[in-house]
Amino acid sequence: MSERQPEMHERRILGTELLWSFGVGVLIAATLSIVVFTALTMGINPPSNVERVDPKVLHLSGEFAEHNLGTSVAADGSVTARIIATQFMFVPRCIAVPQKRPVTLRFAAPDVIHGILITGTNVNTMVVPGFVAQVHAQFTRSGDLLMPCHEYCGLGHSEMWATVQVLPESAFQPDRDGRVSCAQR
Amino acid sequence: MPRDPVIHSNQPSAADSPFDVADEVDEAALAAVMRYVPLGAGVLAGAAVALLVLGYLLIYVLVFIPRGTVG
Repeated sequence: MSERQPEMHERRILGTELLWSFGVGVLIAATLSIVVFTALTMGINPPSNVERVDPKVLHLSGEFAEHNLGTSVAADGSVTARIIATQFMFVPRCIAVPQKRPVTLRFAAPDVIHGILITGTNVNTMVVPGFVAQVHAQFTRSGDLLMPCHEYCGLGHSEMWATVQVLPESAFQPDRDGRVSCAQR
Repeated sequence: MPRDPVIHSNQPSAADSPFDVADEVDEAALAAVMRYVPLGAGVLAGAAVALLVLGYLLIYVLVFIPRGTVG
């Protein structure tokens, strides 16, 4: 009996371990399924835009020239905000976006690596010189949201922040050029 | 060089008594305990993982999803 007992114990322990492995496998599969399901049905994905831009001439011409920065509404009604993240400020300092409408946020940096997040939302991305960081978002609540730099970029890093002003549809009125600025308060 | 400790006859060690050194293993009692050991480990680990997954799901559903779509 004493010779057979250890074998029985090992079989029992092996059975428990296999059962545990199966349970953990089911949990991992369920977690991944949730991620895939929300990605497919609700459009929740990590921002994954690979688009190059020359950081040396960012401000001279093209999309991120000064007159192009800020929020603009295209002829098809799509809303795009273009922002430069530079030591130690965002240009512009305030970005107006409409409530409950898809918005495309595009960021570029001319100097060092920055990062942004918008409080109370899932918007969160790195801004790497040489690339355009792009995030699609939809803001559910109106009001002012803080957008700080969240990647240490130098001595003035803690002073580097901007405001995202989420405006109700009635207050989001583009001008003749399709541009929208923050409301003065 | 370290010297061996000197144990005097008037200072008995607990190791002199076999009752204080090791329990005698009763095979039947060991078998009885081993029947429950995997179950106990499973319940403990299962409860810990269940709490972790519950926390993940609560944050996902109550915090992450209401923060809106992003991509």
